[in-house]
Amino acid sequence: MARITYITPDGKQVVVEASGGSLMTAAVQNQVDGIEGECGGVCSCATCHVHVDAAWISRVGPAGDAEAAMLELEDGVNSASRLGCQVPIRPELDGLTVRVVGR
Amino acid sequence: MKTERDPFIQKRQESGVEYMRAEGQEMPLVLRLQDVRKICKDWKTFSNDDPFMIVPHSEANVRSVRQYPIETDPPDHTDYRALVEPFFRRPNDANYQVSMQHLVDEVLAAAATPDCVDAVSDLALPLQSRSLARLLNVDDSEAKLWISWGTHVFKEGDGISKGAELSSYIREKFEAAEGSDADDFFSVLNRADFQSRKLTLEEKHGFANMAFAGGRDTLIHTISSIIAYFAAHSESLEFLREDHARIITATEEFVRYVSPLTAIVRTCPHGAKVLDAVIAPGGRVGLCWPSANRDETAFTQHDEVVLDRSLNPHVGFGFGIHRCLGAAQARLIIRSLLESLCNQIEAIKLIEAIPEVEQESSFERKVGYKRLLVSFIPRVPRALRPGLAA
Repeated sequence: MARITYITPDGKQVVVEASGGSLMTAAVQNQVDGIEGECGGVCSCATCHVHVDAAWISRVGPAGDAEAAMLELEDGVNSASRLGCQVPIRPELDGLTVRVVGR
Repeated sequence: MKTERDPFIQKRQESGVEYMRAEGQEMPLVLRLQDVRKICKDWKTFSNDDPFMIVPHSEANVRSVRQYPIETDPPDHTDYRALVEPFFRRPNDANYQVSMQHLVDEVLAAAATPDCVDAVSDLALPLQSRSLARLLNVDDSEAKLWISWGTHVFKEGDGISKGAELSSYIREKFEAAEGSDADDFFSVLNRADFQSRKLTLEEKHGFANMAFAGGRDTLIHTISSIIAYFAAHSESLEFLREDHARIITATEEFVRYVSPLTAIVRTCPHGAKVLDAVIAPGGRVGLCWPSANRDETAFTQHDEVVLDRSLNPHVGFGFGIHRCLGAAQARLIIRSLLESLCNQIEAIKLIEAIPEVEQESSFERKVGYKRLLVSFIPRVPRALRPGLAA
């Protein structure tokens, strides 16, 4: 189980508890604004773009090649950018905070 | 002449550009995934503000209005798109999803008899049109006329007369909805405000033209291609049944693999250079979706259907600001269809397939089927199978 805090584009904090899936599926299941996950999590739509809190970047890890190629062309990208669908939720991410970029 | 399903492989690997004859010019088609994406993001250099020209061959002879929002650029495009996005986001609603699953179950059950049926006219076409009626929030009975228009609203027959019929229908619907406070597509657009004014009839017509013509043949071809795939791979339905998550991945994979739309075109008002292709001011460049979706540098087993492909960064619904408005609807229809097939169908037997082939100056490409005659073998409920009865 991990508690994840999403900060939506309008500044609202949404805390979600999840024991599996990804940052995208947990957000969609809890109707977090700004995360749509249209493609279901196969890294095709980039509607789950988040900025990982600076203190958590090393624990979350870097984007893979396909994800990085998607992010390269996204608006609002920075060194903390990840696509939520490519970040599996695991116990060591308990306490993670991410900012939802949105569209 | 290259006739295989991926006729772009050699040029994609060699130069990243193929040329085709379009509107009297040799138009470059961009073939690699990341090159296509980059052009999609750079709308200032690669503009959509060129009515009738977003496809390789001008549609000026089959429609009289600019299509909205796709044939516009920001900032107007942003405001135009916002007017209709509430309709196209309806598939994200849980109640709409349940309703759509019921519809797909019903359409498949009606089509799926052991007799010979045409998966294009008896399944894909009614599925597309009746689903569109749900999306636009109009009565299901409207779909009867839409079904009669066939796979293409422009291309079949003489093209011009079909385009004129669609045009008359759209104008009549907006006139009939005048003053209405209903929540259907036509009434809502009649009431819509755009940049502090009402939409003109031409603009409303352009929205409706896009809604009826865009995504029609492409969805129909995708559905018929899915049926053909399962007819050729009888074990695949069981593979999907084994893990429900495969409904999602298989949907994306069919969109990637079928890629029924060969190209969308951008116009370069100030000219551009793409790889080795120089585009003169006012010249055009094509974004070749099926090639980008087979890019071997991005997709392992790029020429195979992998139903549980978990990493699938395809551009089957476009990319960037002009990404397909109907993507959520198309995804929901395909997911629902796969669900229905898994529940209702044991196997599909192919009887006859007549492919739809696009012929251009430098390639031929199969995009779907004109006719796909099959018979469906219904699934026997587990409780009724010999030796499994409770």
